[in-house]
Amino acid sequence: MSNMMQSNGGPGGRDGGRDGGRRSKFGRFGARRREVLPEEPLEYKNVAYLSKFVSANGRIQSRKRTGFSGQNQRKLAEAIKHARLIGLLPFVGRM
Amino acid sequence: MTLQRTRTYECMCLLDNREVRKGWQPLKDAVTGVFTKHGAKILSSRRWDERRLAYAIRGQQRGTYLLVYFAADTQSLTGIRRDLQFNESVLRDLLVECAEVPQTAYEPEAAFDVNAIPADDAPAAPEPVAAPQGEPVAETPTEA
Repeated sequence: MSNMMQSNGGPGGRDGGRDGGRRSKFGRFGARRREVLPEEPLEYKNVAYLSKFVSANGRIQSRKRTGFSGQNQRKLAEAIKHARLIGLLPFVGRM
Repeated sequence: MTLQRTRTYECMCLLDNREVRKGWQPLKDAVTGVFTKHGAKILSSRRWDERRLAYAIRGQQRGTYLLVYFAADTQSLTGIRRDLQFNESVLRDLLVECAEVPQTAYEPEAAFDVNAIPADDAPAAPEPVAAPQGEPVAETPTEA
């Protein structure tokens, strides 16, 4: 019973972990994370590709999941938001 | 003194299918007229797609997208945006700057039969119901 009362926090958890809540630039074993490059242009008209980075609830995936660089993640977020505005992608839920 | 600067822009307009069914070319001319009214030079205007919308806009489940590339003065964008919002045929518009016009924009527009647009007034097709898994649980009568 006492185990159930313990915090579920760990490395990378919400409770902070070893890097105190900040995302580390390094992976679990110390290697620097490899940047993922987009396979297709990140523009709002490319709906099929953008929808891969949208969750079932319509939320934009985090950089941790996409693996994009900061620049590409910002392009992705902007493209998804543009697509939402003109009715190509949903704000909430799936197509 | 205002700074005059001409740039290339891309505008995606979502058009009401009720207006599209009345005639594609007059509607296209009316929308591109909004740009030329403010002194913009139309580089390309073509139908991008006709598709189902991700969410209903003004009660419409489907819409036709018109993609316009134009060169305009930066000062005229406010007027263009305002007139597009006042236009009843335009459900939504998105105006962004573009570095260069892609070659695909200059390709001739495919034939578009406005009568072939599916009606969106009809309710959406019901999703296939998944086969029930397991035995249905019989309701137990409550004891008095």
